[in-house]
Amino acid sequence: MSSNDIEMVSVTKSYGGTTVVNGVNLAIPAGEFVSILGPSGCGKTTTLSMIAGFAQPSVGDIRIRGKSQKGVPPEKRGIGMVFQNYALFPHMTVEENVGFGLRMRRRPTSEIRDAVANALRRVHLEGLGHRYPKELSGGQQQRAALARAIAPEPSLLLLDEPLSNLDLKLREAMRVELKDIQEQLAMTFVYVTHDQDEAMAMSDRIVVMQRGLIAQTGRPSDIYERPNSSFVADFIGKSNLLPIRQLRQGNNAVVVCLAGDLTLTARKTEGIAAEDARYCCMRPEAVRLSLTADDSAVSANRLQGRLTRIVNLGAYFDCFVTMNDGTVLKSLVRSTRLPGLAVNMPVFLSIEPDAIRLLSH
Amino acid sequence: MDRFLSLCFRLSLFLILAFIALPILVVFAASVSPSAAISFDPSQWTLTWFAQLADRRWLDPFLLSIKLAAAVTVLSGLLGFLAAYAVAYQKCPGHEAIMAILVSPLAVPQIVKGVAIVLFLSSTGFFSLLGMPGLVMAHIILTLPFVVRMIAGAMYNFDKRLEQAARILGANAWQRVRFVLLPIIKPGLFSGMTFAFILSFNNIPLSVFLVRPGETTLPITVINHMEYSLDPVLAAVNVASLAFILAAILLFEKLGGFSTQLHGGSK
Repeated sequence: MSSNDIEMVSVTKSYGGTTVVNGVNLAIPAGEFVSILGPSGCGKTTTLSMIAGFAQPSVGDIRIRGKSQKGVPPEKRGIGMVFQNYALFPHMTVEENVGFGLRMRRRPTSEIRDAVANALRRVHLEGLGHRYPKELSGGQQQRAALARAIAPEPSLLLLDEPLSNLDLKLREAMRVELKDIQEQLAMTFVYVTHDQDEAMAMSDRIVVMQRGLIAQTGRPSDIYERPNSSFVADFIGKSNLLPIRQLRQGNNAVVVCLAGDLTLTARKTEGIAAEDARYCCMRPEAVRLSLTADDSAVSANRLQGRLTRIVNLGAYFDCFVTMNDGTVLKSLVRSTRLPGLAVNMPVFLSIEPDAIRLLSH
Repeated sequence: MDRFLSLCFRLSLFLILAFIALPILVVFAASVSPSAAISFDPSQWTLTWFAQLADRRWLDPFLLSIKLAAAVTVLSGLLGFLAAYAVAYQKCPGHEAIMAILVSPLAVPQIVKGVAIVLFLSSTGFFSLLGMPGLVMAHIILTLPFVVRMIAGAMYNFDKRLEQAARILGANAWQRVRFVLLPIIKPGLFSGMTFAFILSFNNIPLSVFLVRPGETTLPITVINHMEYSLDPVLAAVNVASLAFILAAILLFEKLGGFSTQLHGGSK
């Protein structure tokens, strides 16, 4: 008995000569909220439709609850799915939509009625059961689609960018609700998205995909703090990525020479031999900006530059600082800390060696 | 200027409607006129010609035409749905070529089709199929392209993700057709069947080759009658069949709700 709800074993999918998913190995434990995250064309949607059974792997095997799904059609897989455009049946009321899965399984009417009422309550659509989908707002349609997917109580729910058609406020509210529902029902969620904020906010685990391959798998904080490649560092959150020109070994620390004249001290990064390091990566919030040179808060890596652009994010300023050699570093500054910032000010940057990550590719 | 344009549009719309309706009004006047001379004076109008329609001479062909049109409608709806399902929905191999073949009878004049069918039936020894079976087959050849086009149009517009949604919710192939596909393409199906009914009920060029003595359709009976006399009973027959067709269209619309499709509505 496997505790993994889904296991993908070296799954490859090719259409004609193009390989969309390339030898993916992935195990998703029961009850986890897993996001498959990546830019469009990275193979995440193909991966999802192979799990659903709408596409067959060219090579490899997908197991659901320990059973190989070779030759098992989608209607026999016992999973739920929420589609990007919701795919609600336009000729049925919300109640009929939500009860559809149980009706197809010929459950008794009373059981269907209870399950529908339950599912509608869970997504806060009580009282709208008699409406048709086109009489609902986008957010309500989204909830109806979710209710339809969870009403038959599948152990596994696939979600294909379900929030991408909603406006920002609603999207943020739905993130919280989705996570709550997942925890309450103890379902396994596989959530496909290109929105890294969404993935960060909800997931127990994130699978970052790039060109058909898994780039990195880990908890959101792992991936954010310890990206394993410049692609992941760039895709998840904002980062300063600098190519390494030359590298000098120290005893405990590694001294890094960067493009131009910047010299930074970084600590050795676990898993990467110092001589393999090609890039170094710093999150903007780890780059401390100050107006005076003698800021005692940070010990190492003091740099001097000129503030060339400020993007006001409300609570934060996104500051672009141009060094003497032309390198631009981004720094995130809480707006209450330095309220008088203005473009063209000479500024000082300091970076803790621990906050610099070395990347091999 | 806008008001002038709007007036022009209204006027041209009125003229077009009048152009369509006036012949019908003349036929209506003829059907209630006391003699072959058409009277537009309502005080002279009479229903005597309509009373003659109860005669077997008219009633039998009328019932035959209804039976024929009903059979053609149901069969071409069924066949058209199956054909469109394979071609437009499942996109079977060669679906474009098959669709071209399915609608190709449209390019052949009905007279030619009629002759071809009679020659086919006589040369293959199926002469006994003349009459009702032959009529049904011939009319289906005529109506199928319309029905297939109508249903295929609805199926091309069908959002395939609804099929996926139904599948993942556990619906098997039959359930997906029965509960999702059919209800959504129903307007296309019923508008196709309406065309089939009208085409079959009014048909002359095909039927004329296939009817048997004593077993003729209503339009053929009218044609035959016209060769001898042009009396107002013909106008009464036409008005009655027009009313019947209108009633049939209303019934189909009630069942299939296709006016929403024609008007571009949804649901």
